[in-house]
Amino acid sequence: MTTFMQLIVSGTLLGVSYGVLAAGLALIFGVLKIINFAHAAFAVLAMYFPAFWFLKWWGIDPFISVFMALPVFFIFGYIIQRLLLERIIGDAESEAATLIMTMGFALLIENMMLIGWSGLPRIINQSYTLATWNVGGVLINHAQTYSLLISLGLIVGLFLFLNKTRIGRGIRAAADDPEGCAYMGINLRSMYGIAFGLGIAITAAGGCLMATYRPFDPFFGESIIVILFANVVLGGMTSIAGALIGGLIIGLIQQVGTLVVPVSLQNVAVFAVFLLFLYLRPQGLLGKREREI
Amino acid sequence: MKAKIGQYALFLCRRYLAIIVVCAVGLIVSLLIGPNRYYQRILLLVLIWASACSSFNIISGYGGQIVFGYMMFLGTGAYTTVLLFKLLGLSPWIGMLVGAVVAALIAFIVGLPTLRLRGAYFAVATVAFPLITIPILNHVGFEEVSIPFIKRFSAMQFADIRAYVIIAVILLAVVLITVRMIELSRFGFCLRALKENQTASEGMGINTLRTKILAFILSAALGAVVGTVYAFGIQYMISTHSMFGLFIIVRVLSISIVGGLATLWGPTIGAAILVPLGQILDSQIGDVYPGAQDIVYGAFLVAGIIYLPEGIWGKLSTYLRYFSALFEARVRGVQQVPGPTETLADRQLTVGSLNLDFLCAKSSDTKTDSFILEVNHVSKSFGGIMPLVDVNMQVPRGEVLGVIGPNGAGKTTLFNVVNGYLTPEAGAVLLEGEDITKKKPHSVCRLGVGRTFQVPQVFSHLTVLENIMIGAFGRGQGISEASAIARRVAEQLGFSSQRCHDKAVGLSVMETKLLEFSRALATNPRLVLVDEPMAGLNPEEADRIGTIIKELTRNGITVIVIEHVVQSLIKFADYMVGLDAGRIVAEGKPEQVISDPHMIEAYLGKKWKERYARS
Repeated sequence: MTTFMQLIVSGTLLGVSYGVLAAGLALIFGVLKIINFAHAAFAVLAMYFPAFWFLKWWGIDPFISVFMALPVFFIFGYIIQRLLLERIIGDAESEAATLIMTMGFALLIENMMLIGWSGLPRIINQSYTLATWNVGGVLINHAQTYSLLISLGLIVGLFLFLNKTRIGRGIRAAADDPEGCAYMGINLRSMYGIAFGLGIAITAAGGCLMATYRPFDPFFGESIIVILFANVVLGGMTSIAGALIGGLIIGLIQQVGTLVVPVSLQNVAVFAVFLLFLYLRPQGLLGKREREI
Repeated sequence: MKAKIGQYALFLCRRYLAIIVVCAVGLIVSLLIGPNRYYQRILLLVLIWASACSSFNIISGYGGQIVFGYMMFLGTGAYTTVLLFKLLGLSPWIGMLVGAVVAALIAFIVGLPTLRLRGAYFAVATVAFPLITIPILNHVGFEEVSIPFIKRFSAMQFADIRAYVIIAVILLAVVLITVRMIELSRFGFCLRALKENQTASEGMGINTLRTKILAFILSAALGAVVGTVYAFGIQYMISTHSMFGLFIIVRVLSISIVGGLATLWGPTIGAAILVPLGQILDSQIGDVYPGAQDIVYGAFLVAGIIYLPEGIWGKLSTYLRYFSALFEARVRGVQQVPGPTETLADRQLTVGSLNLDFLCAKSSDTKTDSFILEVNHVSKSFGGIMPLVDVNMQVPRGEVLGVIGPNGAGKTTLFNVVNGYLTPEAGAVLLEGEDITKKKPHSVCRLGVGRTFQVPQVFSHLTVLENIMIGAFGRGQGISEASAIARRVAEQLGFSSQRCHDKAVGLSVMETKLLEFSRALATNPRLVLVDEPMAGLNPEEADRIGTIIKELTRNGITVIVIEHVVQSLIKFADYMVGLDAGRIVAEGKPEQVISDPHMIEAYLGKKWKERYARS
């Protein structure tokens, strides 16, 4: 029973960490219809910079640099959208084109990290990295708990921003009906830029948080990007709440699944469930079916 | 007889001449390089990647279904061959074919459910398969498998790397000839059409799922053979990472995009540029900057998709076509040169009496009393909304039935239920007594139901003629018959022979509507469902549409029309049905329906009758 509770707890912690990364992916897909293949690469970039290097250079704690990552990566994302992606989005075939372009970003980011910072696996070693609370035999990691709380805060913040502010509503309108928005005087390009920037920013924050308890190397992103895709598909592609739920499902399958299958096969369980889901309900948990003609 | 065979051989030679020449050039380059292993290896890599990307091109370029998990098939081929060789001693030459069969089987199993998904879902679904395979293979102890070294022909192992170059050249030739054959076949046309517009292709009688699965299986089987040659020629020891890793699809996509997807030569050109570049970078500065090769690939991807989205060959071929037209014009002494962005002046569209006898519509002379279409107690719901509630309708043969009603009354949903885009929750649809309720759109089309769409669904990048040919393909015609039918239909509906060769994207609204009619007629329908044909047309053009519809019935084709321009509709409709909120509220002669109090209340308005009487 304790083992089971332990797996539930660690699955939840893991799930929320995926959820916050996937929330950015879902926002970007929902608004810009871009499948961002470089998404995890951005998160890994944030694991190095600011999280790892700020600590090494100036002793800034990663839990503080999370909040520095937000504006920096927002601007980074905004510039990438306005400078590059904007040129190719908009027509019917752009889904494949954007997927391919972001794949190019992933190659560039990962290999530049490899050249600049070497392929050595890195780990952030702070007092909370390995420390745990013992709650009735269930061990709960400090770093993961702090990360969980901040992640939930970020997701709620993003949700409120999109629903309560003028710009947020503009972004949602742009997602729903770009043409209508253009006629209503909403600046689509700037909405797209802000949405992409936000998506990257929240992902970068998620990456910083993940770096506090998980070793990483420049290609760490490749091992989680497809899990993140599965995550947003489970959640319905465009829904931020769905991304969180999808993350929880995957985290729990990965952890609880180890009771049934060997640890080395935990991703097999994830993708098997994912495929099953895809066949039965392709629009995802919180997704809507669209009219074809 | 002998002369005929000779002629045919000559024809084949000419058709595939370019491929034979290019492959011969590959061999000559190998000969010139001599025994230098390093350069021979680069050449071998170019040939292998060119073959892999050309195979990938079938489903993802021509078919437009980007298979992100394509490495699944390279890996399957390599692992099957190597394991059979190592464990059972089966010759790799046979193992290669077994690998291709296994890959084809996997493609069928993977494709059957995933190819129903669209866009993003499909891309993500396919990549899950290699990611499932890697941990399973690792788990059973096949993370790395060395190829036993037996220097014998039967073991596909040679001391001289040039032997592999010859194998790879032959492989590339086989792949390219396959691609060329597909390009010129009916199957290739259908692939291009479904890439452009899957919904319309399905409605025109193309079994899109079957077409996609066939393309997928071909891509997979060829990919598996390439995987085997890659393993034996380059690898010596295969690992799950080197055969199933994500980097493979990254390379394949980079090469295909830079060269040009959906073109015969694109992948080969992309490989000839990117592979040597990557190899040279790797060997020159690879030890100092280990990721240099991938940075170049990444930069090419980003720059390529912005500046050359159609790829190097895509761009080149546009110019080539232009210059060859220029050349031809000079030879013939014609002044005007049709350039890549040609627009023709308006031509007169005259509609006299249509003669569609060549279509031989199936029910033209059997004027029996039975109804051509019966809709019995059909209900359909989307979540809480009920667009159709217990709809009953009988459509008499050879007449025009008009369907009117306010927006959201369920008119288009009714059409979608009849031709199979939607399956109703309750009730049945009978076409001449045959139950078609659960049939897919392509089979309903083949049974003789044509369709035009509210929002026109033409294949924008196909020419007018090719658009109509897609309709003829649905009824099982080959290329030349389809082309002949398309020409006659186009001529009947007033397309000039020049206009026939323009892309559909540049047509006017009226021409687009006529194209939809032509395409529907080419499927040889007994019944045509026409959805708002007059929207966006001026009164004169609308009248022409009315004439055409009347002409169709004269040719024995029954027509059901949804239309908001009721004044025009009552001129040519024999019967009318009024829908409101998913129910049929009025039916009968047009006069009866427009006088029906419910229709006046819900749709026409009280003043309508007066205005109609005045006009």
